[in-house]
Amino acid sequence: MARATILALLAGGALLAQALPPRPEQIAFRPLAFEAPRAAAFKARLKNGIPVYISAEPKGVPFVRLKVLIRGGAYLEPRGKEGLAALTGMQMRAGGTEKTPAAALDERLEFLAGDISSSLGETSGSVGMEFMEKDLQEGLDLFMQVLTRPAFAQDRLDRAKENVMQGMLARNDKVEGIAGGEMNRLLNGEDHFTSAQVTGASLKAITREDLAAFHARLLHPDNLVISVSGRFKKEAMLDLLNRTLGALKPGPAAKASPKVPAPAFQRKPGIYVIDKDVPQSLVRFALPGLRRSDPDWFAALLLNQVLGGSGFTSRLMKKIRSDEGLTYGVGTGFGDGAHWKGNWSGSMQTKNRSVAYALRLALAEIERIKAEPVPAEELAVIKDGIIQAFPAQWGRKAGVVNAFAQEKLTGWPEDWWADYREKIQAVTPGELQRAAKKYLDPGQLVILVVGKASEAEAGDVKDHPGALKDIAPLPLIRLPLRDPLTLKPLS
Amino acid sequence: MASLRIRFALAVLGSLGPLQAQDIPVIERTLPNGMRILMVERHDEPTISCGWVARVGSADERPGITGIAHLFEHMMFKGTKVIGTRDATRDAELNALQDRTMEEVRKELDQLREKLRRGEIADINDPRVRSPRHQQLLAELDRLVREQRGLIVKDELDKVYKQAGATGLNANTTTDRTFFHIDVPANKLELWAWLESDRLRNAVFREFYSERDVVLEERRMRVEATPTGKVEETFNAMIWQAHPYSWPVIGWPSDIATVTRDQADYFFSTYYAPNNITAILVGDFRTEEAFATVQKYFGGIPAHAGAPPKVTTLEPPQGAEQRLVANADAMPRVQCVHKVVSSVHKDAAALDVLSSILNGRSGRLNRELVIRRRVAVYAGAGLRAMKAGGLFYLGGTPAPGHTPEEVEGLLIQEVERIQKEGVTEPELQKVKNQVQAGTYARMESNAELRDQLAEAEGAGTYKDFLDEPAHLSAVTRADVQRVAQQYFVPENRTTLVVRRKEAK
Repeated sequence: MARATILALLAGGALLAQALPPRPEQIAFRPLAFEAPRAAAFKARLKNGIPVYISAEPKGVPFVRLKVLIRGGAYLEPRGKEGLAALTGMQMRAGGTEKTPAAALDERLEFLAGDISSSLGETSGSVGMEFMEKDLQEGLDLFMQVLTRPAFAQDRLDRAKENVMQGMLARNDKVEGIAGGEMNRLLNGEDHFTSAQVTGASLKAITREDLAAFHARLLHPDNLVISVSGRFKKEAMLDLLNRTLGALKPGPAAKASPKVPAPAFQRKPGIYVIDKDVPQSLVRFALPGLRRSDPDWFAALLLNQVLGGSGFTSRLMKKIRSDEGLTYGVGTGFGDGAHWKGNWSGSMQTKNRSVAYALRLALAEIERIKAEPVPAEELAVIKDGIIQAFPAQWGRKAGVVNAFAQEKLTGWPEDWWADYREKIQAVTPGELQRAAKKYLDPGQLVILVVGKASEAEAGDVKDHPGALKDIAPLPLIRLPLRDPLTLKPLS
Repeated sequence: MASLRIRFALAVLGSLGPLQAQDIPVIERTLPNGMRILMVERHDEPTISCGWVARVGSADERPGITGIAHLFEHMMFKGTKVIGTRDATRDAELNALQDRTMEEVRKELDQLREKLRRGEIADINDPRVRSPRHQQLLAELDRLVREQRGLIVKDELDKVYKQAGATGLNANTTTDRTFFHIDVPANKLELWAWLESDRLRNAVFREFYSERDVVLEERRMRVEATPTGKVEETFNAMIWQAHPYSWPVIGWPSDIATVTRDQADYFFSTYYAPNNITAILVGDFRTEEAFATVQKYFGGIPAHAGAPPKVTTLEPPQGAEQRLVANADAMPRVQCVHKVVSSVHKDAAALDVLSSILNGRSGRLNRELVIRRRVAVYAGAGLRAMKAGGLFYLGGTPAPGHTPEEVEGLLIQEVERIQKEGVTEPELQKVKNQVQAGTYARMESNAELRDQLAEAEGAGTYKDFLDEPAHLSAVTRADVQRVAQQYFVPENRTTLVVRRKEAK
């Protein structure tokens, strides 16, 4: 029928007027069955015990992508060597290898149009590679060199340190840069590793030997999880991996990485303000949250989606952006608490004088979601959105095996996604409201404002009067900017 | 959501090699009303990446209405006669009342501008300079906006899409095109066709006056509250003397605040015509079935008499080398920009190859300035080729103890070396290898392929994208040397030097 219509058109015939449904709800869709991918179906284990998540696509594009995830990071840095993990991660690749000097490695990788990258973050890192199928042998050889025998060349380390130094000097240039470090200190305390940023002194103290030792310590099969995808045959790839990564034995300095320490800190709720002469303030806020393994997780997840976690459909965005035009975007999220209870945190940017009013609106939405159950229709939109979009989150196979590897590294249960949609569907308005009452206690709020303090504190005197200190029964505390190199407060 | 993409050959992997255009099986159709449809059917994932691009951007504006293309992109999310309101009739009345009130507000603003001109006030946006009547009008406007809000179904477009499991609803505006896109589950193509054809047929610009506050916040976020946002705006305005590329896509703040609904209506009816639009679908559908759906929904949108006006201003040759020296709360850096060519110009490929040879870890700039001489911590090059012209960037960040000017001298020196000696065969081969890999990489993701097809349609046609590998693989060493000689002359150069502002 459709084809006949097209032919008629091409012949210059008139288009038969087709009645269109008056509203989108009246369109009938064919069902779309989708089975959640199961980690077990992708999983294998190398002979030395390293878990591998593998996706072979013999008919796919001619690439091979391999990633070795590493358990370990900045939380293992010795005091006074802050910045060591990030530098080690960077220099594994950038500093060349014992066999292939940095310049030759740069040249060869770009000539092959391949890539090897390495990085270490706060609690984990990775070394990854991407090559065309025809270059797999050479690529894997270079990759193994980077992973197991990096040279940490001194001249490249000097370059990298200069770069870190330049980054440090720029610390107070952007509101985001100021807020990031400060929020960690407010939530986890000065002594927690999340607050331990690199300083001029710690950078200076880091030597090539430190990098080598930090790398040697991490290179233990117990710390590694692998994901691999692309054009290959599964058995042949496992064979190849067993001959390379599977032959990896812990060296004399290698250690299984210890548990990540939770912050032992009693945070002080309040409205903290850092003065910076910009026309728009960055506002961050946070409350204590929970872990993905908590029974409340799904109720909390939906609570967040209704309140601030689902873009234009969430209440904060409707109120603060669409209705009042006070911000380009406001968003919130529950961290999944990989190592300790996460936070419910949010962020927005608004002109200085609107900060107090925008926060008042946000606080009112928090109160409303505690006081009134979320209407069934609103909750249905949120639930359907997650459930119907579930297939999209599994996009490409490289993403699927990476996600499973990452979850394995963190230690989340492997069957987490199997009944995910059912668990979302099962949450009741009552459970959501209980979660709201339990987790949204404004008395616990830590709010950080980085912007022109005098204007932000005064509020919008003309259109929406109300000073920042009066938005909630919380102390208002001015925080100084910190010296970008020492992190000591500037007077 | 103004996005300005810099085309680094490395990042985008424009490609070379013996591959032919038919490697990406694009099916092209045109509806009788002139709307073009591009379809790429593939079944690896149960989703469809959908989008449509209107060939209009900030280059189609004029002083006084700068930012309207982008403001308009925002307005396209506000609903239609069906979507977004409970009472279309009263909604329309309230729009008219708001317009009338705004007209009065504009008279007040005229007076304030006069006071500003005479130096009687310092800031036209300071609430304290408003007359009592002005404040009263704003209160009236606010009342009308609030009454309308009672009838609005908030962000219904987003809601309907979300509930259907669609993801990534967004749009962005550049100098030359506006692009609306979303990914839908494989069984929901008809929903996309319904909602998008409804937007094109029945758009209603609700919240027309409150939305500009959002855009002004967006401008603050992207430009005014960033360390060098305003500097870059000034720099861009300096580079383009005559062409409308000289103003920012997001517009000048005073224009954003004063655009009228009449201007917006004209804009919509002129540029959002089916004959100025291409729709693109990439993903899990059957081509004929998908086309029938698209035709059913978009086929009835009336065509426009005549094509939209063309941008006719040609940028004149620059009279002299230009320099901008800025003090900012930012890292010292330098950027040398040479004006080059449109993305569809025959020299674009050679310039692309040149930028790849200069750029990257093993590229000349990093090797020479960062590794060997240690004068910079970063040095790179990039080509940003747009519809009417392009910019070739050479940029660097000095290492501690060095100045932006030192880096600048060495950046120019590297290009001069290529002017004199040309490039080597291995350097050219390296780029061609990358492009070869790129011919596969650029096809990997439905959404990325859709985006690239849209980009090409915005500047020319999708065939330019398909032909890119062939064009790049045809580039010779002599071509690279020739474009280096032709475009990199001092009188075609505009340089930005950023110095760190001294602490007060």
